Amino acid sequence: MEMDLAVDQVIDPEVALKACQEVLLQVQLQNREGPDQQQQQQVNNNNTDQTEGASPQWDAGSIREEEEEGEEEEEEEEEGEKRGAVREISQSSSAAAAAAAASKQSWLLRLFESKLFDVSMAIAYLYKSKEPGVQAYIGNRLFSFPDSEVDFYLPQLLNMYVHMDTEVGDAISPYLIYRCRGGIAFSLLTAWLLGAYSSDMHISTQRHSRGAKLRKLILSDELKPSSPPPASVSGGSPASSPCHRRRCHRRHNSSSVESSLSLCAAGTFPAEAEAEVFVSPSRRTHQRSKSDATTASGGPGAGLRRTGSNPKVEAVHEEPDRLRPQRELVKSLLGIGKRLATLPTKEQKTQRLISELSLLNHKLPARVWLPTAERQHHVCRVPHTQAVVLNSKDKAPYIIYVEVLECESFETSPVPVRIPETRIRSARSAENLDCGGVSAANANANGGVSGITSEHRAGSFSTVPNYDNDDEAWATDDIGQLQVEVETQTSSSDNISQFSVDSITSLESKEPVFIAAGDIRRRLSENLAHTPTSFRRDPEDPSAVALKEPWEEKVRRIREGSPYGHLPNWRLLSVIVKCGDDLRQELLAYQVLRQLQSIWQQERVPLWIKPYKILVMSSDSGMIEPVLNAVSLHQVRKQSQLSLLDYFLQEHGSFTTEEFLTAQRNFVQSCAGYSLICYLLQVKDRHNGNILLDSEGHIIHIDFGFILSSSPRNLGFETSAFKLTSEFVDVMGGLNGDMFIYYKMLMLQGLIAARKHMEKVLQIVEIMQQGSHLPCFHGSSTIRGLKERFHMSLTEEQLQLLVEQLVDGSMRSITTKLYDSFQYVTNGIM
Amino acid sequence: MSQLEKKAGLLRRTSSSKKPLKEKVVLMYDEIFAKEDPAKNNPRFWDELFLMKVNLEYLESKLESVDGEEVQRIQDNINSLFHHCVQALGEEHQIKVVNALQTLCALFRGVHQKNKSTSGFDIINMLMGFDKAEQRMKDLMERLDSLLCGDGSESLKSLCLKLLLCLVTVTDNISQNTILEYVMINSIFEAILQILSDVSSRGQHGYDAVVLLALLVNYRKYESVNPYIVKLSIVDDEPTLDGMGMVVHQALTEYNRQYKDKEEEHQGGFFSTLTSMVGSMFIADADEKLSVQTNEAILLALYEAVHLNRNFITVLAQSHPEMDIPTTPTTPTPTTPTTPLGTTPPSLDMMNNPELPLDPNLQTSNLLITFLKYASIVMQDTKDEHRLNSARLCLIILTCIAEDQYADAFLHDDNMNFRVNLHRMPMRHRKKAVDKNIPSRPLVCAVLDLMVEFIVTHMMKDFPMDLYLRCVQIIHKLLCYQKKCRIRLHYTWRELWSALINLLKFLLSNETTLLAKHNIFHLALLVVNLFNMFITYGDTFLPTSNSYDELYYEIVRMHQVFDNLYCMVLRVSTNTGQWKEAASKVTHALINVRAIVNHFNPKIESYAAVNHISQLSEEQVLEVVRSNYDTLTLKLQDGLDQFERYSEQPKEAAFFKELVRSISLNVRKNVSLNTLSQDILLKEFSTIS
Repeated sequence: MEMDLAVDQVIDPEVALKACQEVLLQVQLQNREGPDQQQQQQVNNNNTDQTEGASPQWDAGSIREEEEEGEEEEEEEEEGEKRGAVREISQSSSAAAAAAAASKQSWLLRLFESKLFDVSMAIAYLYKSKEPGVQAYIGNRLFSFPDSEVDFYLPQLLNMYVHMDTEVGDAISPYLIYRCRGGIAFSLLTAWLLGAYSSDMHISTQRHSRGAKLRKLILSDELKPSSPPPASVSGGSPASSPCHRRRCHRRHNSSSVESSLSLCAAGTFPAEAEAEVFVSPSRRTHQRSKSDATTASGGPGAGLRRTGSNPKVEAVHEEPDRLRPQRELVKSLLGIGKRLATLPTKEQKTQRLISELSLLNHKLPARVWLPTAERQHHVCRVPHTQAVVLNSKDKAPYIIYVEVLECESFETSPVPVRIPETRIRSARSAENLDCGGVSAANANANGGVSGITSEHRAGSFSTVPNYDNDDEAWATDDIGQLQVEVETQTSSSDNISQFSVDSITSLESKEPVFIAAGDIRRRLSENLAHTPTSFRRDPEDPSAVALKEPWEEKVRRIREGSPYGHLPNWRLLSVIVKCGDDLRQELLAYQVLRQLQSIWQQERVPLWIKPYKILVMSSDSGMIEPVLNAVSLHQVRKQSQLSLLDYFLQEHGSFTTEEFLTAQRNFVQSCAGYSLICYLLQVKDRHNGNILLDSEGHIIHIDFGFILSSSPRNLGFETSAFKLTSEFVDVMGGLNGDMFIYYKMLMLQGLIAARKHMEKVLQIVEIMQQGSHLPCFHGSSTIRGLKERFHMSLTEEQLQLLVEQLVDGSMRSITTKLYDSFQYVTNGIM
Repeated sequence: MSQLEKKAGLLRRTSSSKKPLKEKVVLMYDEIFAKEDPAKNNPRFWDELFLMKVNLEYLESKLESVDGEEVQRIQDNINSLFHHCVQALGEEHQIKVVNALQTLCALFRGVHQKNKSTSGFDIINMLMGFDKAEQRMKDLMERLDSLLCGDGSESLKSLCLKLLLCLVTVTDNISQNTILEYVMINSIFEAILQILSDVSSRGQHGYDAVVLLALLVNYRKYESVNPYIVKLSIVDDEPTLDGMGMVVHQALTEYNRQYKDKEEEHQGGFFSTLTSMVGSMFIADADEKLSVQTNEAILLALYEAVHLNRNFITVLAQSHPEMDIPTTPTTPTPTTPTTPLGTTPPSLDMMNNPELPLDPNLQTSNLLITFLKYASIVMQDTKDEHRLNSARLCLIILTCIAEDQYADAFLHDDNMNFRVNLHRMPMRHRKKAVDKNIPSRPLVCAVLDLMVEFIVTHMMKDFPMDLYLRCVQIIHKLLCYQKKCRIRLHYTWRELWSALINLLKFLLSNETTLLAKHNIFHLALLVVNLFNMFITYGDTFLPTSNSYDELYYEIVRMHQVFDNLYCMVLRVSTNTGQWKEAASKVTHALINVRAIVNHFNPKIESYAAVNHISQLSEEQVLEVVRSNYDTLTLKLQDGLDQFERYSEQPKEAAFFKELVRSISLNVRKNVSLNTLSQDILLKEFSTIS
């Protein structure tokens, strides 16, 4: 039913027009009344916000019209609320609202309109309030919050949408649809989450559920950003004027005013479409230019195109489905994971992974992106040989590194042009730069159509010539310029060994140069010692080496080896792909961690935790943002054969050094943070494979598979509140050290701060419990238990005592030790 | 013109009744070889001709039997036949197309058979006529191109490729085949690429296409601008390059598999009962002959791709899990005549399912690994000329790979570890290594292993100097890369050192016999310079500090060899003779090695004397070495890390000319053998049409 609302036809254009006019009137009125209250709003966005706000309001309004036999009064009130939401306060409308609504509601309204009212509160009221009016109001109010803030609560919103009664669903629906129209990323995220949260429903109801329907609608790609201009727009890559275009988008997105507005915008479309035809098939034009450059008869470019050996060009160009590339990427990544799971050894898995990824590379760059990343980008290459399989007993999670090119918007910026793998050496070769002049003309001719956006062109200029330079290359000796190339590389290396690297042929002097054998030997040992401690390659633990390598080092190395590495907007990202694991609990944990992190930040408690992003793709697959520069305590132990304290000393220097002290402080702050997390969330399965140590000394807990009401195999192990081994205490400087006292103090402060904002934490968990069959919600006392662990009733002195008790209990806990040895026996984790 | 003739020809044909036993097509051929225009009497003559089943033997023999003067008379008719063949290629009726293709085949072959000595221009004149040749060939190539790229029958495509192969190999020396000039102008390169880029067509015609491409690239390679070289060098479409790699991969894999089967068979026979052993010995002998046959055509294709196209290098490392290949719609019968050419035709099922997707015992492989295995087999026995050529080509390919920076990057990539089971020659003094024990290592280790293996196993009277030089140079190039990129490869360098020292020893003990044929000083210089690389630049690429000590240990241990070598080169360089200069270079190169020997030997002796030990253990020697570095001064030598880049011309030109000639002969033989017998074809088309 509500699905239909999403489809444009339902909305009566006349009604829409009327609404639009009303809003415009309001705007005028408001402008006259005084703009001072708009400070919080972005002034330039005001108009668009108005219209955006109005449109979904209409959707909601029209439902009610059906339900409540057209109560115009009510509707006006809604409208008023709406306006208030946008402009904070509008006296006349709030008065009207107050008059029409019940007194309780007016009290609420004041809260809603106050500055304090944030997304968190909105979600809370949406969840708790049974009043359809309030729900609808909040549904509308969502539009006024910044997207990123609402995005944080997307799991909650969607879970409510899926599992709660129709009213809530109806209230949220317009917002969801509006946002889905707005972007592919949001659409896909929503579709994935909907799928995951619907999976707990009974199979018979699932198919017809609201969530499933919305998911289907999104995936059918009917939620296009605007009334369709020429069909190619959605699939192609418009580039001419992204900002202008975006504005159009926004206006169009407001569904109810679409028809009227599209009239005025109509003029811009033909021009845009034209520009697009010109720019978007970058590969094709590029090939043409290349064949032009070749003097050979026939033109290989033309030949290739005819042969259709380049199906991707065609596909991208004619594929109308905006979501397809990304879905394909995800599908193939998950497919790889599934296939890997069937192979017996890690070595085979890794080899297979590498070869599968290399095939994936052929389809890149494409309009795909990593959803865990902060910035907008296109994926351009997967350095497949860097990928490794992670340690897992029967599943095959793996980590891949992904090269991306940042862009303004992955939906509208043109997809970068593919650069063949082997182009790298010419990009770095000095010789080629020299002869660049020969092909400068080529480059100029080519630059105009090469499809690389203008800001990249400057950067890529040195390589583009080579790209078309091949016909010259064959005539000379075509194979790379090793000799020249490497000299540039060595210039960056350290001075000690410079001497031995330099070839002395350049020295013209005929005088013999003597070197001491002892120097060579010494340099060898020094060089070996200088290389940062790396882990040994272990076929049973391939990830240890890959994860130990410092991130900067890895980025530099991969950048050097990448044909795209020279581009200024090149970035390296990484992601863990998990197949066969339910990441919904991980997502929940991530949200709680993020919430606590921001609470502690707000309260200025220096607790350190590292929430890592989770992407749920279905109830048994997803992606995880890896923690950089971190290896598990298990790996540390196995590889270094040292105690944790000795490892700290090895990595950071002796007790008194600045580095060690910093690392130690980091360790304490992170320990305190995670101790609290473990206590509050009852995180279990805390063996050393699930605790990471980063290069700055922080510990990071991963794997929140057992939280709240669930624990592994329910053996009753791990009764302690959190994991605090004597090794940890040693790093902190022993039981009587200042740092240990600091640790306990931090925990107390953290708990007090968390307690202050308990509701914010509680609410995240509570909403997700709705309709969920996740093991962490097993039993009836999950929420009550969580609430109790905040100890609202205790005084601060009592809390301090509690912390002491917790620490004491954990330290003495024999079960921690027992659990570790249990893990060692069963899983080989030290 | 023909219309005029048609009007003029009022006489009825009567000849058919004269020789009732002859096939009709034969009679029609006879008419062509008569003076008259065959269409004169029968306006539909050409139409009818292409409906007849072609009698290749007769047509070819007829062409061969025509002598000089007759040629002049019937030239018009032959031109006309050629013209109509080309036209028939455009027919919708597929039988006509088939017949026209085969007739053309016979024409090319027949004409060349007869006129081996005559110049290419005469042949062109005879077939097409000078004035029309350009147009005719243009038409022919365009027709073939559209047949190859169209959606037509696969067998038809196969036949087109056969015709092209036939045309390309009609002369022994491909560069003397003047008709190919037209194939240069009217390129079918794109059609070949298309075949390679498509999975199903690659499976059926990939082999022929790759061989054809390899041959075309070699047409007048050194004299003129060959557009196929130009085009091949700039292909950057991955599916296509991958396809080419796949075809080569599969052909080599098939060879490796056959070899392995044979080897197992051989061994099985040995350990079974006496009777079967006796029996199998004969069979094995016969088989051995077969296994000698190597596939130079495919190797040449690999070489050209690696040498010409820098993008192809990525294909080498491209692994082939081949999960998602849709099982090609194989129609079993029509593929029979498409048996690939060349010496070891890969079986078809192999072409289609290269690897079973989910067999956990199967390692993912890549072209480079397969190639290394293949090379290890080929290099085992270089006595036969074909195998020697193959081994040489393998080493040339490896040279190109070792020079390529991208290839080096993935050879040394620490994350790409493979177990490569190289084949090792069974030798008396060593046991066959157990396959399973090979650790998974970066690929460069396998390359080095292969080089060491070659060095150790080919010290024989008939010394393959050329191969040794290439081998040592490959090692040198790899070391240069490691030095420059500071890659510390965990490799057991000791094996390499002792292999090299043994090689020097062999050169010394066979000085006189070898010097008669080879410049052994050049090889000795290269070997000594490898040691110099380790000595002077060891700090940049050796994996551990101990490995540097071990290097010294090894040199000191084998000092006798270096001493003798020094004596020898000193002697030669002081005499006047052709080797004077070459030998004196070696004396200079030996400076550091001699310094090491002279520095440490007394130290070790005195250590032994002081401690009263007669025989020092390795650890003790290493200790002496370690404590005495500081008093040793070495001389930095020039250009140790420089090498001459590989270039085909002029050095290798003669080799490739001969190689292409032998491949041409081979391909030609195979085209004629599985004659384009067309029963199956006809069956296919009769059901279609």
